[in-house]
Amino acid sequence: MRSVGKLPAILLCLLALAATGPVMAQKPTQPAQATAQNAAQPAQKTAPAQSGQTATQPAGKTAPAQEGAQPADDGATPGTATEPATAAQPAQTATPPAEQTVPADATPPAQTQAIEQLAKAGEELKRLTDLVDKAKDDDTALAELKVQVDALSKQIIGVSVSTRPRLEEIKARLTELGDPPGEGQPPEADIVSAERKRLVAERGAINALTGEAEGLSVQSTKLSNAITATRRALFSNTLLKNTEVSGTMFNDALSATADETRVLTRSVTSWLSFAWNYKRVQLLSALFLSLLAALVFLAGSRRLFRPWIQHDITDEEPSYFRRLSVAFWSTMIPTLASAAFAVSSFFFLHSFNVLRSDIAPIVAITLGVSVVVFFITRLAQAVLSPRDARWRLVRVSDRGARMLMVAIFAMALVNGLDYLFGGVSEALGSPVVLTVVKSFVASIVIGLIIIASAWIRPTLRKDDDFDAHGRSWPRLVSIGLVLIGLSLIVAAASGYVGLARFIATQIIITGAILVTMYIGILTGRAVAKQGAFGETAAGRYLERRYNLEQVALDQIGLVAGLSIYALVVLFFIPLILLQWGFQIADIEAWAYRAVTDIKIGSITISLVGILAGVLFFALGYAVTRFVQRWIDGNIMARSRVDAGVRNSIRTGIGYTGVGLAGLIGLSAAGIDLSNLALVAGALSLGVGFGLQNIVSNFVSGLILLVERPFKVGDWIVSGTTEGFVKRISVRATEIETFQHQSIMMPNSLLINASVGNWTHRNKLGRSEIAVTVSYASDPRRIMELLSEIAAAHPMVLKNPSPSVGFTAFGDERMTFELRIYVADVLTGGGVRNDLRISIYERFRDEGIGEPFPVKIEDVPVEDQTGIESDEPEKVGEPKGATSAEARASAEARAPARTTASGRKTASAAPLDEEEEVEEARKRRTASRRANPNR
Amino acid sequence: MKKFVIALLSGVLVAGALAAEAASAATVTNKDGETAVLVVVEGESRMEVAIASGATEMICPSGCFVTAPSGDRIGLQGDENVEIVNGNVVVK
Repeated sequence: MRSVGKLPAILLCLLALAATGPVMAQKPTQPAQATAQNAAQPAQKTAPAQSGQTATQPAGKTAPAQEGAQPADDGATPGTATEPATAAQPAQTATPPAEQTVPADATPPAQTQAIEQLAKAGEELKRLTDLVDKAKDDDTALAELKVQVDALSKQIIGVSVSTRPRLEEIKARLTELGDPPGEGQPPEADIVSAERKRLVAERGAINALTGEAEGLSVQSTKLSNAITATRRALFSNTLLKNTEVSGTMFNDALSATADETRVLTRSVTSWLSFAWNYKRVQLLSALFLSLLAALVFLAGSRRLFRPWIQHDITDEEPSYFRRLSVAFWSTMIPTLASAAFAVSSFFFLHSFNVLRSDIAPIVAITLGVSVVVFFITRLAQAVLSPRDARWRLVRVSDRGARMLMVAIFAMALVNGLDYLFGGVSEALGSPVVLTVVKSFVASIVIGLIIIASAWIRPTLRKDDDFDAHGRSWPRLVSIGLVLIGLSLIVAAASGYVGLARFIATQIIITGAILVTMYIGILTGRAVAKQGAFGETAAGRYLERRYNLEQVALDQIGLVAGLSIYALVVLFFIPLILLQWGFQIADIEAWAYRAVTDIKIGSITISLVGILAGVLFFALGYAVTRFVQRWIDGNIMARSRVDAGVRNSIRTGIGYTGVGLAGLIGLSAAGIDLSNLALVAGALSLGVGFGLQNIVSNFVSGLILLVERPFKVGDWIVSGTTEGFVKRISVRATEIETFQHQSIMMPNSLLINASVGNWTHRNKLGRSEIAVTVSYASDPRRIMELLSEIAAAHPMVLKNPSPSVGFTAFGDERMTFELRIYVADVLTGGGVRNDLRISIYERFRDEGIGEPFPVKIEDVPVEDQTGIESDEPEKVGEPKGATSAEARASAEARAPARTTASGRKTASAAPLDEEEEVEEARKRRTASRRANPNR
Repeated sequence: MKKFVIALLSGVLVAGALAAEAASAATVTNKDGETAVLVVVEGESRMEVAIASGATEMICPSGCFVTAPSGDRIGLQGDENVEIVNGNVVVK
């Protein structure tokens, strides 16, 4: 209102100005020029101080000047308006050296005194700066020094104030003298122009002096603020520093609060008015853009994550996992959106140059604190869900949830405000006592809230409804709450304000982080639960997209759960550590050391090294397998290398490759191979005793691969074990018997004992069929018949030709043996089968009688004679004339009979096996029985 | 909950406003016909204070240096009444 009242007066003034016209219009430029005369020095001196705002200054200066031109138009004085604002700046640069002809002795005594005082102040400032540097850790000394520095600042201002009257005089006198005459006007008296010159020079000198004082003042204020910052840092970083809590402290704080509020209001309003008047477009567009960014983020994420963040009203009984994910996302997304808003608005305000150096930190901390408080509130809301009991993550009563919510919010708010005001104090350079008192109050309030929350009755019995009256905390919790609150209050009251503040902050922030972590871990656990992953959207998608089985989904869920654990731990543990005042560099160093350099005694373990070792080993293993497959499939298969050799080479390459990969892995893991020599030495002793068998088996395995007495697929007999070789591995050889029993035979046994191999070089094999007939038959005829039968069979080899031997005279029977050769010993059983059938049929047709024994003894004489008379030649002899016997005898005669390897043919094998197994059981006895016959 | 927040915030605001009332600083009145931009160096911050024609602003409660539109620099202790006349700073 005051300004409005003065409006007419100003208008009058302006009219007067307009009337004086050109004379007045010149005037503002004169002092500018005057300054210019001495400006060279101060301009350089104050340059650092000015550089901070150089970017904004020209813009700021011209803008108001141009806008100011409009009201000036109304006032009909266009000339005066634009000049002064722009003139000052260029005048300083365009210093005409010719004008610096001011007589030095013209300096008045007042000015000389001021110069002296300033010089003294400068020296004092230097001294104080040194002292501050020395007393960096001494709070008391710093406090005293600050008083001195502040006094010095006042003194400096006082010096410049003392020159003010003289400046006024000069200005008044200059006005009296009027402007120098223009081009066409008659020249004035010399004395007038000389005086004007002198006055202008003096004015410049005073301005320069004030500039110098300004620079000094800035320096001293900087020093003072640096002291405050150091003291504040001392306060907040030194947890166990005792501050004296006294009445004077509160008095000081109160006055400091008033001062600070005033300064804050003034800074903010002046900034706001400035920004509104001259940077309106930038301010509004910055706000608009940041709001837009937040909106886009919020809307986009809401749209994307809608199912995860919205409480489904129709869902009567949401599953725990669903509640968790809703809690998580409904915390994270709005928090991220608000953080996006905060960051983008600060960014835009900053990049549009709207912020001022004193306002920027205030804006930054306000935004930061708001985001943190918002996050904690959202989190509490998500976990407690005070309005809807179904979505509550913890089992507390409705009323308890509301009360807890209030308590948590209040604590977060108080702590946030503490930090906000602390930040403001820091930005405005307020005294440390203010920070201390604020933290004191905040700690006590938080302590009280914590104590009060001990009386909340949130817990519920198992069968209680949510709207039931809650029961009080478990005693441990309520006592703990009271104790924590009391300890906060006691710590603050006894002067350990820093500690109290730290604890209060940690209770809130660390608590919030821990709760988030807990939710994360619960989510991980819920995902990892059997069948839970299939219920999630991701699980359903995977199921649909890749047709995954339930088992696979479960496995993915397990992996997902574990990775959630890992993420939670990896993300939040550093966050908590940061909260506790550890530096990022520390954490990095720890993490680095943890993965590269764990020292246990004199042993250094490096996780990265071990990982690299494992990686190299895996790589080597993969390469080995690749080379193996390549050599086997490409080179050896094409060059028609024998299957056994192929197998041996493949296995050899496998062992070598894995061994090499192991060595490389060991070296990469940082294990010194020369250390292994020691281990090997120790091992060799062990080998002598315990590992003997294993090593001998291993070496035997290698020998088997090199010597190849048998190979995979061979039919071998060793001791009582007979069957096909399935696999030759490091320690044992797998043999599959005809009954499909797998027998692991230690390699050393196969090396040390004799091994029979039916299919070593070829598969050619001899089979025998024993035939017994009574003495009534003609042996030549029998042999003829048998030869014919053998020759008629297509699978009996012509060369070596089958042969028939009359092998024994038995009691009442003759024994013949038909020996045939078959190309594949594995088909022998089938061939023998066919031959026996043929022999039986042929003998019957020829009337020779059965080619097997008939029990004569048990038959009554009449019958016997009857039979014998019916079929007199039919006294065959059974002898279990099986191939078992035959083979046994064959083996006895020609133990080294071998044939090349071969497959079991599908037709022959089953028959064969049955037979052979039977045989295997009886072989020894049979051979013993057979032998005397020969 | 909301009431609580509102009560708390309004309390803070009222306290701030009360504290702000107890202000004493240099008053600057612009008597010129156009907006004057003063460069005020207070503490370590240098800021431009724009004073509209006829308006009165409070600046530097604890002493500062002011550069007038005319280029003159003066020191202020913080309790002066200052007028801007013709781009010159006149201390009353």
